[in-house]
Amino acid sequence: MTAETLSLAALGCFALGAVAAIAGFWVEGLRRNAFQFVPAFAGLVLKTASIGVSCMLSETHFFNSASDICGLLAWALSFSFLAALTVCAVRSLGALALPLVSILLGLSHFFDRQGVDPGFPAGRLLAVHILSAFLGYGLFLTACGASVLYLEQARQLKRKFFGVLFRDLPSLERLERLELVCAWLGFGIFIVALATGAVMAHRINRPFWFEPKATAAAMTWLIFGVLVVGRTARWLRGRAAAKFVLAGAAAVLLTFAFRHPKSTQPGTGAQAAPARPAACEPVRKAGEGVHA
Amino acid sequence: MSDTPRLEEALRLVGLSHFTAPVALRERLAFRAADVPRALGAVLGRGFLEAAILSTCNRVEVIAVGRPTNPEPGGQMRAFLSEFHGVGESEFSPSLYELKGCAAAQHLFEVTSSLDSQVLGETEILAQAKEAYRMAAEAGACGRVLHRLFERSFFLSKELRTDGGIGKVQASVSSAAVALANKLFDVKGRKVLVIGTGEMAAGIVRSLRAAGVGEMFVASRTEARAAEFAKQEGGKPCSIHQLPEYLTLADIVLVSAAAPSYILGPDQVRTAVSQRRGRVLCLIDISVPRNVNPAAGEVEDAFLYDIDDLEEVAKEGRREREKVAERWRPRLAEEARECLHMLGDYGVEQAAQKLIEHFNAVRQEVLRQARVAGEDPKVAEATARALERLQGRLLHGPLETLKQAAREGDGAEAMAWVSRLFRLESLADGKGGKEEGKL
Repeated sequence: MTAETLSLAALGCFALGAVAAIAGFWVEGLRRNAFQFVPAFAGLVLKTASIGVSCMLSETHFFNSASDICGLLAWALSFSFLAALTVCAVRSLGALALPLVSILLGLSHFFDRQGVDPGFPAGRLLAVHILSAFLGYGLFLTACGASVLYLEQARQLKRKFFGVLFRDLPSLERLERLELVCAWLGFGIFIVALATGAVMAHRINRPFWFEPKATAAAMTWLIFGVLVVGRTARWLRGRAAAKFVLAGAAAVLLTFAFRHPKSTQPGTGAQAAPARPAACEPVRKAGEGVHA
Repeated sequence: MSDTPRLEEALRLVGLSHFTAPVALRERLAFRAADVPRALGAVLGRGFLEAAILSTCNRVEVIAVGRPTNPEPGGQMRAFLSEFHGVGESEFSPSLYELKGCAAAQHLFEVTSSLDSQVLGETEILAQAKEAYRMAAEAGACGRVLHRLFERSFFLSKELRTDGGIGKVQASVSSAAVALANKLFDVKGRKVLVIGTGEMAAGIVRSLRAAGVGEMFVASRTEARAAEFAKQEGGKPCSIHQLPEYLTLADIVLVSAAAPSYILGPDQVRTAVSQRRGRVLCLIDISVPRNVNPAAGEVEDAFLYDIDDLEEVAKEGRREREKVAERWRPRLAEEARECLHMLGDYGVEQAAQKLIEHFNAVRQEVLRQARVAGEDPKVAEATARALERLQGRLLHGPLETLKQAAREGDGAEAMAWVSRLFRLESLADGKGGKEEGKL
């Protein structure tokens, strides 16, 4: 089974979960976490397998093509959504997270697969960098989802709309807690991403802070840092904190607007990484390291 | 004799409820708890094998299983109600509903599951039905049919509450207040400030207490009333002049003061919220005229609800419950049919058991008469075993035929033939049916 097929199967599972999550607002029988959890978990397993197969079969993989970014972001978001569903049981979050995961995964099949070699030496450090960065983004986006739900529930409660959303959305307190937990975890994991990125940039003597992508990532980290400190110190709560998370999510999107520049140093890798083979034929030679 | 067609005729339910009769009539036909055993005896004396009486403020119902010899069970039940209460039949007949068989069983299921209640999904009716069942059982008026029907109805009621989710949506003003507060935060352990001591406030306080709120402070313009209310509801009295201090402390503020003007305004609420370090404040104003300025609801992190909002939430809940009820009614009808069908099968089993017992008695009698003094015990034992085998072989055919007839829906006819062939009259006329649990 090819990585493409696995990814398409994962897309089907996520889409199924998304339909169940949205229909759950109106259909009583679908208001169970299991109707989202099971397809989302199956999708996550399939997407993980797809990424694994893709890594094993391709010669060089930097995960910085538009297709890879969408795929990995979908994977990270589904992972953090499942964690949030398990820990906080906020079922309504699925109506936001799962459609987004499905869209991202769908886009990954249309977008350009041509990656760019940023010149970072391939190895474990790069793998840790990519993994922690995307997990951080996934958690930040989940916090953003919780904030959107918070603001909507606060609006419903303030304006006294006692409809479907009022009934199905959890309490403001629970949403705020979920938002904080995701922000804390994302903040912690993102430190690893920034640190590994800085180390790798240092190794190839590249000015890390002048790179737009790295700057946007640092800004994202800073926004969430202010949030977790402010929330813990209790001077940033409620709607203000939720809006702050939305600003952080905007910074996340800004990060994806930039790409790492191509490597100009000789001997650090190809100028442009070869596109992932469509059929993922085994082109890696024995003894070669797996890039991320 | 008992099978589905017979039970379809024999199971009767007559009654009147808030849907069909005004309270003036319901109260005249209501049974006091002390009168129920006597009333059950009177019902059984009118040609019924089993009976139970459910008498609540909203309904008076008698469910009974008639003897096969009872020519007109419905008429007997009407006559019983009339005689027992001294009310002419013509006075209540237009408001009375009479149901039989599956319809009666389905009605019992719907009543116990609160689908026939004034407030759908209320829990009181279940307790009342359990009490009616207990009294009938204690009076010896409950047999196999009513045991099974009541027990099934309790099971279904529980299932409707847990799986159907009818109890999850709020349908009263008190539960709506708790639901609204719960949408802001988990009310468990939260501090409550009650301003005013009205009857409605007491109801909401009880609901909040049931939901697990923590400390409660009571303020009133009359300090003695505050102290009394606090004592009754388990709170601490506080002075109305200390409101700003308690507004900062409490998470839920319940206002029911009946004051002619606003007690709380936006400025007081804004000050309190600013001192709460972002903690949300839930204000519930059930006073008419309102005692909290509506502008206070515009303050960030303060959420204000008045009596109309609570009513709106309750109404929404009632609509939801109606949807659940609509989904469950066909299921209850199916359950009623199945229940009666199973009771019919059980009747055939009982008849088979009766036949075996009859043969056992005859065999023992023959053995006793044939016993010879000084007979070798081994010979006696061999004779007994031979007779037992003979009995088994002789009964095999009739028993299989009975089972087959029950499967094909001809159980009644087959049992009538068996009872006539073997002179098992008690099977046919239902004598002693109550004790043996058969019709």
